[in-house]
Amino acid sequence: MSLFTILISTIFVNNYVFARFLGICPFLGVSKKTDTAFGMGVAVTFVITLSSIITYFIQKGILDTLNLGYLQTIVFILVIATLVQFVEMVMKKTSPTLYNALGVYLPLITTNCVVLGVAILNIQEGYNLIQTIVNAIGASIGFTLALVLMAGVREQLELADVPKALEGFPITLIASGLMAIAFLGFNGLV
Amino acid sequence: MKLSETFRNGLIKENPIFVQLVGMCSTLAVTTSAKNGLAMGLAVTGVLVGSNLVISLIRNVIPDKIRIPSFIVVIATFVTMIEMFMKAYAPALYSALGLFIPLIVVNCIIFARAESFASKNKPIPAIVDGLGMGLGYTLALIILASIRELLGAGTLFDHQIMSASYQPALIAIMPPGAFIILGILIGIFNKVRMSNEEKKAAEETKSAVEA
Amino acid sequence: MNETLKLGLILLLITAISAFVLAVSNNATSAKIEEADRIANDEARKEVLPDVENFEPLDEVKFKEINSSSEEVTEIYEGKDGSGEVKGYTLKTVVGGFGGDIEVITGISVEGQITGMKVLSHSETPGLGANADQPEFQERFKGIPTDNELVIVKESPANENEVQAITSATITSNAVADGVNLAREIYNSQLSK
Repeated sequence: MSLFTILISTIFVNNYVFARFLGICPFLGVSKKTDTAFGMGVAVTFVITLSSIITYFIQKGILDTLNLGYLQTIVFILVIATLVQFVEMVMKKTSPTLYNALGVYLPLITTNCVVLGVAILNIQEGYNLIQTIVNAIGASIGFTLALVLMAGVREQLELADVPKALEGFPITLIASGLMAIAFLGFNGLV
Repeated sequence: MKLSETFRNGLIKENPIFVQLVGMCSTLAVTTSAKNGLAMGLAVTGVLVGSNLVISLIRNVIPDKIRIPSFIVVIATFVTMIEMFMKAYAPALYSALGLFIPLIVVNCIIFARAESFASKNKPIPAIVDGLGMGLGYTLALIILASIRELLGAGTLFDHQIMSASYQPALIAIMPPGAFIILGILIGIFNKVRMSNEEKKAAEETKSAVEA
Repeated sequence: MNETLKLGLILLLITAISAFVLAVSNNATSAKIEEADRIANDEARKEVLPDVENFEPLDEVKFKEINSSSEEVTEIYEGKDGSGEVKGYTLKTVVGGFGGDIEVITGISVEGQITGMKVLSHSETPGLGANADQPEFQERFKGIPTDNELVIVKESPANENEVQAITSATITSNAVADGVNLAREIYNSQLSK
């Protein structure tokens, strides 16, 4: 697959939120306001890209050479958890402004399944390093796009007259469903 | 809390999906057929019972500071074990659930139970809690998956239910259907809960007036 | 510092135990997993190329040569009868479908006939393109000679080399036909004697 195809495919056709159902928890949790949604998106982009590169080297350099493929899940999740902690510490020391903007989202990212999902998919699809990076960036853009679009919708939903039983979570899910229908339109693009 | 209460708590009152709204990713992704929903539910139940038990056993040995990484290691170990056994004994099922088996690691429900229940309770209640929550999760998954399979393919557990002339509503098994049907289900659950509470409140005021 | 060391040691102990547990269960299941893998692959090959005794991978040098010119071909097996004579080939090909890659295995007999086709993996739309893995569609490829290129048509086929598409999934049908066509070309140019 060419790099461009990977990029378009992960952003639109196989959007990680709407088509692959990864990262639904933060998608529903942090999509109330457009600016926080964007902040979360940027933080996730950073972590996904970095963790994809690191897990790529760990898989090729350590797990594959030592025949320890079965430790993949446990090693990847530990790497991601450590990375998130590390990024948080570095950010706090070097750039307080950035930390103030993104810091609150960082602990949430460990349990964001997009991060682990992308890391595992990179390996499963047999991507090389460049493809891995492109896939990671595409996944992050797709995730951010979904988050920001949804936040826009939810800001409007606040003003709408929703039946009491559907308020909050249920109506958000239904709106996401409609958005997913829109994303179906990208199907067959690649 | 009594054991039966702990169990019921997970199954209905604190149902992970309908009430706590956690573990959404796999819920939406694997519920294209009732069979997949059941398998995923049982895999999660297995991990939940195992990790709850182990975490409860070691809860006094683990210093508070390294609590989280220790929990992650325990959970990931159980997930990997389930993965191996599924690959060996149910390869077709494994390939249907695919990526979502390793992703059980980041399913919030498991970590939430470890942190809020298993790390504070004795092993037996922890196992019961894991069973209750796991089966509650499975139940919700089966309900959602059955509706999607019935509407989207006209079958249930691969058996033809609808008459042959039924034109399947494909949207139900496509991604948008997952979001919409789950939204409606949670809405119905809320509605039932609200009317129950109203009834209770009305009865209370009634008895207060009578007194 | 002492505290840190202690915490580190405890964490190390936990990870060591879990690694040990996993190594043991890996030992217990790995043979079984390989076996299950092999059976699944063997069954797929048997399904598309019946009437042979056993399968052997194609000569490695020859396969490398084919793979380097058309990398969509990922696996070729020879099907042999009891006396070791080659009766046909199975070829795995990967083609781009509607929602992602589709993996197709095609069986071709030495008489130059497609003996079967099976879609091994895909990410097509449920209810539409996903029907490609249903026997009903796969049956339509059986018995077609390899001389001419397969063509997907919307109505019932009029010619020998035509295959009826899956309802409302022309792109998927075409992609699957591409996979079979590729196998057919490789057979015609490289494998048939």
